Amino acid sequence: MNLMSPENKNRLAVLRSAPLNKWIALSQDETAIVAIGDTYAEVSERSESAGVSDPIILKTPEEWVPVSL
Amino acid sequence: MVRVPYKAFPDKYATFLYSAMLPVHLALPHPNAPRTKRFEAVIDSGASRCIFHADIGRFLGLDMKKGATETTQGIGGPSEIYLHDVKLYIPGGPVIIKAGFKESLPIAGLLGMDGFFEHFVVTFRHPSLECELEREYRA
Repeated sequence: MNLMSPENKNRLAVLRSAPLNKWIALSQDETAIVAIGDTYAEVSERSESAGVSDPIILKTPEEWVPVSL
Repeated sequence: MVRVPYKAFPDKYATFLYSAMLPVHLALPHPNAPRTKRFEAVIDSGASRCIFHADIGRFLGLDMKKGATETTQGIGGPSEIYLHDVKLYIPGGPVIIKAGFKESLPIAGLLGMDGFFEHFVVTFRHPSLECELEREYRA
């Protein structure tokens, strides 16, 4: 397997610290969680309040397991 | 051509897995409709159409249950989605698609065959941990 990029190392550390089953907003460089919410609308509004207008939003699962939809 | 680096996700064994994720925006289909902030969706050739979490649809102002229902067949069995027309912002310009919205989706969204793959030549390059997207425009 290839060596993990520094970007993915940072991202992985951030995701491991993230609450599960929430919406989270990451900073543009994906090195920090700037907002957390129970809904997409909540996390979108909270990221604005945190002064980050262009975050990357994702939903964390109930458990970090492989995804097969 | 756009190169999309694979993204790492934790697993429960303190290791990790990779996924091809693309940050996208959604909006209602009418001109100048405000769009969502960027959110990550999985590039998933196993999905027949694009499916997004119902929360995102509600944020756009969609009344989920006013959409036509469709039963999808996944590995976990059948489930119901609500179909709505939306504008999907992807590399090379937005497209209007019929997307599914689902309440219990464990992730923000899936970019499937109808609405996403139909617009690109998609190449997964696992050795370099990236996905290449080359937009194809049809008359």
